[in-house]
Amino acid sequence: MIREYKFDDKAAFLHQLEELVRSGVHPRRLTVTTPFHVHEVEHILHLRPSWLKLFTLIGAAAGLTAGFAFTVGTALDWPLRTGGKPIVALPTYIIVAFELTILFGGVISFLGFLFLSRFPDIPAIVSGTECGPEFIIREDTGEAV
Amino acid sequence: MSLGTYFDQLEHDVLAAMRKPSKLYWAALAVSAAAFALGLGCWGWQIYEGLGMAGIRSPVGWGVYITDFVFWVGIAHSGTLISAVLFLFRAKFRCSFNRSAEAMTVIAVMTAGLFPLIHLGRCWFFYWLMPYPNQRHLWVNFRSPLIWDVFAVSTYFTISAVFFFVGLIPDLAIARRRFTGWRHWVFRILSLGWQGTAEQWKHYAWLYMFLAAFATPLVISVHSVVSWDFAMSVIPGWHTTIFAPYFVAGAIFSGTAMVITLVVPMRRILGLDTYITVDHFEAIAKILLFTSLIVSYSYIVEFVLAWYSGNPFEIAHFSFRAVGDYRYLYWLMLFCNGLLPLTLFVKRLRRNLKYLFVLSLFVNVGMWLERFVIIVTSLARDFDPYNWGNYAPRFGEIGITIGSFGMFFMLFLIFTKMLPVLAIAEVKEHSS
Amino acid sequence: MERRDFLKVLGIATGGVAASWSSGFGQDKLVSRVLPPPEGHIPGEPIHVHSVCTECPAGCGLTVTVRDGLPVKLEGNPHHAVGGGALCVRGQASLVRVYHPERVRRPLYREPGGELKPIGWDEAMARVRTELAAAAGAGRTNAFWGGRSTASLHRLIGETCATLGLERLPEFEIFHHGALRGAYGRLFGRRTVPAYRIDRADALLTVGADIVDTFLSPVEFARQIAPKLEAGWPWFHAEPALSLTGARAARRLAVAPGSERFLLAWLLRTVPARQPLPAGVTAAMPSVTREEAARQTGVPAADLDALARALADARQPLVVAGGVSVAHADGHAVALLAGLLQWSLGAIPALVDFSADHTFDAVGTLADARQVAERLKAKRIGVLVMSRLHGLEFLDGAVEALPEAAFSVGLTDFLSPAFAGCRLILPVSHALESWGDAEPQRGRLGLIRPVFRPLHGTRSEGDILLQLAGKTTSFKDYLFAAWRPYPAAWWKQGYVERPVRAEAVKLADGAAGALAALGQAPELAAPALVVAPSLRTFDGRSRVIPLLHEIPDPLSTVTYGPWVNVPPGLARSMGLADGDELRLGGAARPVRVLPGLPEGVLLAAVDAAAGLGLKADPATGELLACRGGISAVKTGRRTPLPFLSGGMDATHRGILPGDEGPHHHHEKHSLYEPYEYVDYRWAMAVDLDRCVGCSACVAACYMENNIPVAGPEEHLRGREMSWLRVQPYVRGGEAPVFIPVMCQHCDAAPCETVCPVYATYHNEEGLNVQVYNRCVGTRYCNNNCPFKARRFNWFEYDAPAPLDRLKNPDVSVRPKGVMEKCTFCIQRITHAKDKAKDDGRRKVRDGEIVPACAQTCPAGAITFGNILDEKSRVYQLAHSGRAYRLLEMLGTEPAVYYLSKKVK
Repeated sequence: MIREYKFDDKAAFLHQLEELVRSGVHPRRLTVTTPFHVHEVEHILHLRPSWLKLFTLIGAAAGLTAGFAFTVGTALDWPLRTGGKPIVALPTYIIVAFELTILFGGVISFLGFLFLSRFPDIPAIVSGTECGPEFIIREDTGEAV
Repeated sequence: MSLGTYFDQLEHDVLAAMRKPSKLYWAALAVSAAAFALGLGCWGWQIYEGLGMAGIRSPVGWGVYITDFVFWVGIAHSGTLISAVLFLFRAKFRCSFNRSAEAMTVIAVMTAGLFPLIHLGRCWFFYWLMPYPNQRHLWVNFRSPLIWDVFAVSTYFTISAVFFFVGLIPDLAIARRRFTGWRHWVFRILSLGWQGTAEQWKHYAWLYMFLAAFATPLVISVHSVVSWDFAMSVIPGWHTTIFAPYFVAGAIFSGTAMVITLVVPMRRILGLDTYITVDHFEAIAKILLFTSLIVSYSYIVEFVLAWYSGNPFEIAHFSFRAVGDYRYLYWLMLFCNGLLPLTLFVKRLRRNLKYLFVLSLFVNVGMWLERFVIIVTSLARDFDPYNWGNYAPRFGEIGITIGSFGMFFMLFLIFTKMLPVLAIAEVKEHSS
Repeated sequence: MERRDFLKVLGIATGGVAASWSSGFGQDKLVSRVLPPPEGHIPGEPIHVHSVCTECPAGCGLTVTVRDGLPVKLEGNPHHAVGGGALCVRGQASLVRVYHPERVRRPLYREPGGELKPIGWDEAMARVRTELAAAAGAGRTNAFWGGRSTASLHRLIGETCATLGLERLPEFEIFHHGALRGAYGRLFGRRTVPAYRIDRADALLTVGADIVDTFLSPVEFARQIAPKLEAGWPWFHAEPALSLTGARAARRLAVAPGSERFLLAWLLRTVPARQPLPAGVTAAMPSVTREEAARQTGVPAADLDALARALADARQPLVVAGGVSVAHADGHAVALLAGLLQWSLGAIPALVDFSADHTFDAVGTLADARQVAERLKAKRIGVLVMSRLHGLEFLDGAVEALPEAAFSVGLTDFLSPAFAGCRLILPVSHALESWGDAEPQRGRLGLIRPVFRPLHGTRSEGDILLQLAGKTTSFKDYLFAAWRPYPAAWWKQGYVERPVRAEAVKLADGAAGALAALGQAPELAAPALVVAPSLRTFDGRSRVIPLLHEIPDPLSTVTYGPWVNVPPGLARSMGLADGDELRLGGAARPVRVLPGLPEGVLLAAVDAAAGLGLKADPATGELLACRGGISAVKTGRRTPLPFLSGGMDATHRGILPGDEGPHHHHEKHSLYEPYEYVDYRWAMAVDLDRCVGCSACVAACYMENNIPVAGPEEHLRGREMSWLRVQPYVRGGEAPVFIPVMCQHCDAAPCETVCPVYATYHNEEGLNVQVYNRCVGTRYCNNNCPFKARRFNWFEYDAPAPLDRLKNPDVSVRPKGVMEKCTFCIQRITHAKDKAKDDGRRKVRDGEIVPACAQTCPAGAITFGNILDEKSRVYQLAHSGRAYRLLEMLGTEPAVYYLSKKVK
């Protein structure tokens, strides 16, 4: 059975949530829906930290590497002299690498977000579940209906 | 008013803007679309005839098109400033502007991105500017500032679009709930099944912060890169180290002005007075003033250093700017960008929305002129007097410029009717 | 020569000529490519044919490069004494004339209604014969009126006139040197223009004679003076206006218009005579003091002294008068005094050679032309056969009289003003399509041979005359009969020197009398108008060639005229800016402010003179090209005038020789390693002491590299396509300096770094290469070039047919949206390297690669070579004390070195 608590007010909602957790309800059995991000919820429910940081790091590192590898690699693939500058013109490649760091970092973070949050949530889209402007706590009591 | 009622009212008001459009809206859309069509027509004619139908020549190989390019990229930057930078600074007032600003950014970058294509002599080969693998080992010249542009602007567009979309997800969920019909389905799909669970918000919060953290140096780097299109040359008037901060400040300056230009009427027409308050505008006006001061400082530095350097090329060039054939544009630019914004030191004027609107128009004009003056006067008078020559835009270039404005406003108008113009979820967050 | 040898040579001559197997545009046909060509000629390989340039009376030798049956490039003939391998701007552009779309292609007959109708040659000939008979019957005189002719054509005209009973009217040339000929006739009994041996002179005074612009044989003169310019010699040029000659001379003396007689008279009295003058002559010579000479001419006394000293100190001094200084009301006096001075200085016959004179034998004066006009107006002329009447339209009232002939027959290639009203037009082939010969100076005979069959239904003038006379021989046979005695060299080199009779020249008895009859010098009040021959169109005959309008006049950089030059002071006082219209008598012209032009003098080229009322001196028949007391009224209208220079003042910018511009107090070290060139590093040296600004190099570059002509509207928008420009700069009150600027092929080229797609980069031989098919057209390269050496294709340019066929197949034609620039003639470099490889040599020898600009320069100002080779000429020039580079302080490391004595 799913017990639902709806609140209009954030303070009341948080109070109830704390109560539930303190009363021994396992966080795993609680599903919380909020109209905006309430970071206290993560403390209360002891949620694990998000792995998103890893995606960001990997993305940025990949971008940085790709930026330099690509620029240096293509310059060496067909070395063409322009303006007396060296073939591997690192100062100019820094700019490209910087941009790619941000690009890959951002895009891979976004993809990581989609992956971690299981988006697009096809069942939810298909079934048309709505989320309202209220703060909702759903407790799965485990009992049969 | 209880929070619940407030939220309800908020959602209703914002989404009411997306209801059936008024006659005024249709008229505005028609004018914008007509302008856009004019621009497309002129571009088509240019592709057919050749770039000769523009006014550009030797020595002024870049004219109105590159002015437009820098102008639109500059406009875009302000959006990212408001969304990303102000987010990192935890500025609460940003949430009344940030959706429109982000939309403005994405649309402006799209508009700007057309101009490197438009000004190409052989624009059908534009894809050669992107390094794609091919049998002939043809790669691009990464030493060229134009390639940095390609990477910078593409990155900027991608990240801005991603950031825009990410910010929209919770609001699309709200809109999904309140609309019916085909729009409901569009929002259902686009919102990806967002429910607002704690797990989702947890990841979302990190993503939003990282995107904001990425976007901040991106803003600075992109307009720096655009300024290096000029600063990396040898031309007096272009070859100066102040360009990067000068242009970034100028971009934020012009973009903020455009935000004011867009949001003041939008607020009135869509009835969002309670959510976008005069206090918010005053904060934006302070940003406008601050960046205007930086830009004025840059003007002074440019001029004084040119004189102080003793370099005859620099001195001759800046004299030309001040008293030469383009002097009216130069002084108008100084007036609009340096002098007029100083009135914002007066609190009463800062809080007067009509005044802010008119001022923002002047700043838009002034900032367009600044790019024009920098590009054209520097090329018109460089080292060898034999090569000196003036430039005047012709019909096709003016048509395409008008077309770019048409495209921008047309897309923005469509945005106001298709997507929530306010970041509802964020407003909720900050009102509680 | 033995008959057998002659026939053998004949066989080589005709067989080796493309005309025997090419059919002009019939080369499209596959068959001609499949059939083996004669004489081992390989399709795709160029063949070179010697001929003579006919674009102006100088008659320089020509070498035509023929590719697959079409002439694609003209160069000089090194074996030909006139020109000696060089070719001027008009000569280079003359190839356009052959392919010109407006050439008359078939005979045209003017119907009674006024329309021109094409007819066949036989019908045309028949008509002429009918008209000849009719006119004779009606009691009118039939006549032949042509331009200057020499050698075989000259003889044939005489024979044809005799056969057909045509009166041979005095030949018409607007620049006929009537004053000079008259003076020499009175002084020495030789009514001709002698050869001036400027190469032998160690001091020279030219009075009005624009020896490197248009006077007599400018290419030859430029070649002769160039080494002297490099070494430095006392060359004074006195002129009323401004010319390239004046700009180039060591000392330019601006004399008041019409005052030259005072200068010459003073010199006669001051410089010690080396040839004894009879007492009567000395007595009759005008007496002019130094002060009066200075006062009348406006030349400072110190300059006069320097001049006199230079002439007195020289071993072989020479004075040459001509051009605009003898073409005014006092011109006959100037010519007479100059001739006398030449005698006095002992220049005759060593430096002033009457035996090898310029062949103006049958050329009349403008008084003769006026007489013809009178006879026409009196309806006394029946059939008038006309040919090569260039510049007739500038003489007041001449062209208007032509329709009074009963039947006018025009032998012409274009419907120019003199021929536009003819009843019958007989189209004449171009020299490149005809056999012929030319003897511009006695004893110097050049061979004209066709390189392909006529493009259209035209015939050569000789053939037309022979057919009119009812002869069955062709002009080719006529010529071959005349050429029998010439050696094989004639055929091989296209040139031979015939011995001329040297007669002793002495002062005539009437000399003193002529001097006494000089009378008072008429005054030419300011403002004076000087109408000079045009560098680009001579007497207007080359106006039809669009390229010659595309290339600017070097002094003013105006391209499409007509216009009149005004001095800066007059412009200021009248409030005139470039393009403002000025009414000068009967016509209005836009003005160009020309720094360096003396105050009180307006200067126009002759093709701006239509409607300005040019008349002839009734005494000498000379053109009154320099007139005083002109009424110059501002009309208030403005005509946009296209000119290329954005400014002529380049002081302290590191551009002018001896003017380093902003210099750095410390040596700037590059952050990067210098590149190690291995085999070649191509470089160029341009000698500014030799360059006369004639722009021949510009025309050669256009022709070699398929550079399109942009046209006047584009010029007004500031766009043109030249890869090489002659840029004039004026410093203070000095004469202009000309700097030919092309892509400098910089080692640290700013353009290369900024191209996003590698369409331009630096190759291993030091060239800045432009890859047309990679260019996307961002134009950043030209923006970043401090020399603005690059040009962008704003449109898809092409010329109307058949001019679009005039293309050098070795050079790509660029599409719209692509950047182009000087390539140091990379096609010639590649060709030379291939040849070296074929010959088994590893390296190209110095002097083997000659870019088009260097090849044609009459003054030899441009040198090209491998600067890694320390024995090469370019290395030596670059390391001489005279070398500097443009904008050196920018650190772009150009590969073009400019040489000037002014370099510190």
